[in-house]
Amino acid sequence: MTRPIRLLIVDDEARLVETLSKRLTARGLYVEGVHSGADALALLQGKPFDVALLDVRMPGMDGLTTLREIKKLQPLLQVIMLSGNASINAAVEGMRLGASEYLLKPANIDDVLAKIEEAFHKKLIQEERLAAQHGPGA
Amino acid sequence: MKARRFLRRLFGRERWKPLEARPDARAALHLQYLTFKDLITSNDEILEVIADMESKLQGGTTFGMAFVRSRAVTAASHAYRMIQNLNSLSRRRYQDLYPRFSEIQQAVEGVLAMGKVRQRGPLVLPLASVSLHDLDAVGGKSANLGEMKNRAGLPVPEGFAVTTDACIEFFEANQLWDDIRAILMNLGTGDLQAAAETSESIRRAIMAAPLPSRLEAAILDGYERLCASSGGTPRVAMRSSAVGEDGEISFAGQYVSLLNVARDQILGAYKEVIAGLYTPRAICYRAIKGIPEEDIPMGVACLAMVDAAASGVASSVDPNRPAAPRMVINGAWGLGIGTVEGSVSPDTWTVAKDGTRAVITSAAGLKETRVEPLGAGGVHSVPVSARMQPALCLTESQVQELAGLVQAAEDHFGGPREVEWALDRAGRLILLQSRPVHASARGTEPEETPREVEGHALILTGVPASGGSGSGPAFLSYGPEDLQGFPEGGVLVARHSHPQYVRVMDRASAIVTDIGAPTGHMASLAREFGIPAVLDTHRATSLLRPGAVVTVDGGRGAVYEGRAESLLSAAPSSGARGMVGTPVYAVLQEVSKHVVTLNLTDPKSPEFTARSCRTFHDIARFVHEKTFEEMFRVSDQASYEELRSVPLSARLPFTVYLIDLGGGLTPGARAREVSPQDILSSPMKALLAGMTHPELRWWMPKAMSIGGFASVTTEAIFTPFMEYGERRIGDRSYAIVAEGYCNFSSRIGYHFAAVDAYCTASPSRNYISFRFKGGAADEARRANRCVLLERILRSMDFQVERLGDLVNARIRKFSEEATLERLDQAGRLIVATRQLDMRMGPAADIDWYVSAFLKGNYLFDPDFAAVSPQGGS
Repeated sequence: MTRPIRLLIVDDEARLVETLSKRLTARGLYVEGVHSGADALALLQGKPFDVALLDVRMPGMDGLTTLREIKKLQPLLQVIMLSGNASINAAVEGMRLGASEYLLKPANIDDVLAKIEEAFHKKLIQEERLAAQHGPGA
Repeated sequence: MKARRFLRRLFGRERWKPLEARPDARAALHLQYLTFKDLITSNDEILEVIADMESKLQGGTTFGMAFVRSRAVTAASHAYRMIQNLNSLSRRRYQDLYPRFSEIQQAVEGVLAMGKVRQRGPLVLPLASVSLHDLDAVGGKSANLGEMKNRAGLPVPEGFAVTTDACIEFFEANQLWDDIRAILMNLGTGDLQAAAETSESIRRAIMAAPLPSRLEAAILDGYERLCASSGGTPRVAMRSSAVGEDGEISFAGQYVSLLNVARDQILGAYKEVIAGLYTPRAICYRAIKGIPEEDIPMGVACLAMVDAAASGVASSVDPNRPAAPRMVINGAWGLGIGTVEGSVSPDTWTVAKDGTRAVITSAAGLKETRVEPLGAGGVHSVPVSARMQPALCLTESQVQELAGLVQAAEDHFGGPREVEWALDRAGRLILLQSRPVHASARGTEPEETPREVEGHALILTGVPASGGSGSGPAFLSYGPEDLQGFPEGGVLVARHSHPQYVRVMDRASAIVTDIGAPTGHMASLAREFGIPAVLDTHRATSLLRPGAVVTVDGGRGAVYEGRAESLLSAAPSSGARGMVGTPVYAVLQEVSKHVVTLNLTDPKSPEFTARSCRTFHDIARFVHEKTFEEMFRVSDQASYEELRSVPLSARLPFTVYLIDLGGGLTPGARAREVSPQDILSSPMKALLAGMTHPELRWWMPKAMSIGGFASVTTEAIFTPFMEYGERRIGDRSYAIVAEGYCNFSSRIGYHFAAVDAYCTASPSRNYISFRFKGGAADEARRANRCVLLERILRSMDFQVERLGDLVNARIRKFSEEATLERLDQAGRLIVATRQLDMRMGPAADIDWYVSAFLKGNYLFDPDFAAVSPQGGS
């Protein structure tokens, strides 16, 4: 855990993005926030992140579509879905598309942080495995 | 066989090399460890949902649809993740779980949809064509008005009903259900401040949404027809008419009515009334009553405004004494808001409930204000002249005429009836609303003046409005907004009665007001909730001190100093506040059939298959079992010894199989079984030290003498495992270890104990999670044992949640030493509690057991003396 976790927050609720960013930055994370799926994808084109907190219901591109596109751009990026709307369908679809977790709003900041750390840990190990498969020199 | 395939997949066909030299193998092991950890976490989350649902099924705590929905979603997402992870562990050997999952998912979604699919009808219906048959289509108020007008021939205003389908169309066009559901997710019950904020967010969302043009046209067309039939352009009253309103559950005054609405205000007023579905008081009322707080369509009654000289409420029985042969009528000057909301002291008449309709009593109230229509629309309150304040607002013949109308309503509907009435400027009586009376369940006591109660001064008298007695500290409220910090069991002492006080009716033990009428909305609600109430005392807020304990006799209208036990024992407080039987409870019950029920109890049964999974609990149970099976799928010929599972040789009441994910065992320990000395994983070592603590003596027959113990305890602690083989009562237990990590789980029948721990020299990631569920004892014993575990774990600084028979304890970020010390204690606890089924009766003294354990008396021996050198920690 030498480098800080790079977290991307995607939620159309500006206030929520702001609060979460502030509080998670205070906990030592590197945080960027965007307010739409399209903005998220644009950012991910050129910049690697470790974990994304992704709102399910957003105007324009919805969370599930965004998730599908994110996995094409950065397959190892761990995506935690964060939804205000308790829909089983969306939850299952999110898991099927490779989300690592489906959390419901309102979520406790400590729980969210714990899930982010867990997801980050998972990503590190996946990266390690990938590096091993390709060999140190490859 | 499968294991080898699995291993081949992990390592390819390479020759064996030490792990250190094989970073890919290490990483693969790590990945397996992560998958395993995800499985354990998901299993825990599902068990937590199950316990949470089970505890809510007891009915004692308030919950709403948001709870049911969110729990169902959490269970579903984790059940699905478990299936995914098991398939990734097992090379997709459990694909047939997916169709089972889909079936359960559909069943749960079916329950949550609550039969919403039905044929849509018209958006607007003229009142002339509405009756009780249209209850679902137009809501309670419109249906009752239509019934009175068209089938009982009673005088009601002209008007039309905007249907519930109109509301659905409005919400769907703007996707408001989703918005509202999302906003409601943030609300916990009982949080008044949050309820107010939630309400405001929902109101804003509704007001900002445009009405579909088809609906606008239908409403305005309804108004044009009203103009045509009444001649002119009447102002209208827009009143809530929700499904369920004015029925068995009254919703009295919980929604919104807007009076004196002009044509150009109608559409905005329509949205306001719809938004009234989510006033804080309505949200709280539904929460307490267990009515789903979502997807409840609201109809709106749009009625020609009656320019009222006087108005009020009348009841065909005395609501507080339904057996008495008389009616009660309340009235005040102007429009009716004052009487129903309790802001003026109204005139009160009682009328004989026989052919004579003789006026038995008439008492003039001091009506300081009256509500009048404003020219521009809306209403305002104006002072009443000193001369008119004490003057009765109805003549005796008008009172008798009104009593006749009320009797006709009762006769038509076939039960006690409450109506809102108005007297127009031409002297005609018109009924504005009608609903069943919520009479006091205990209202049959003979009429009496307040009793003398020895030792408790009678401090106050007033109008009895809801029977029974209650006692508690006085909480003074000068307005319905003034409720922050209302205590459980408090006595609400308010200036005016107001329906918004429903927000504390799940907590209040009694209500006393300065002003208010027993026919008002709040009194009706108090009776509905079984809360004793005394109204119109004039002096309660000036006489009663905040926090002072008083006793309220709602049946006789008296308030006493202190806690008058004799009154309270005579009238036990109503237990009618539980959730059992409410619609939300019914939904939870249905959902829990697909979530909570466990059908797969025996892993050895041929029924223990993926195909037999019928609930999320089944899936969790099945996957959990198979996870360990997959992890421990052992083959003696396994090419990679690191992954073999090995039995542990230690004196334990169950066999433990170990698997090492890296650094958990000594490199040489790959024999047929390992001894405790081979364990390198520090958390496992500590846990095992606890489980094999010599004082546990689980193998001793109960009656064995202390002398007998001594000889046994001098033996080596770790005797080879076969020696104790015949004494092992349990099935296999499993431990997955790694450097600094252990996951231990033991499941015997219904009894499940698990410890998941990580512990290194740096405290930041150290944790212990300890879980315990079930046991083979009856409910009382199980509950007792869980309380015992909770107390002991708390004494060791664990944070403990207890949900039904699930105990979930956790510590985080303790130092290495402190963490290991607690693992040792947890180990002792796991073994010691196995004794408890037999030892601990349903009425056991839990304190004694807690201190016995803490003293090291692990056999819970009543003759235990804390001198044993091995005792304690």
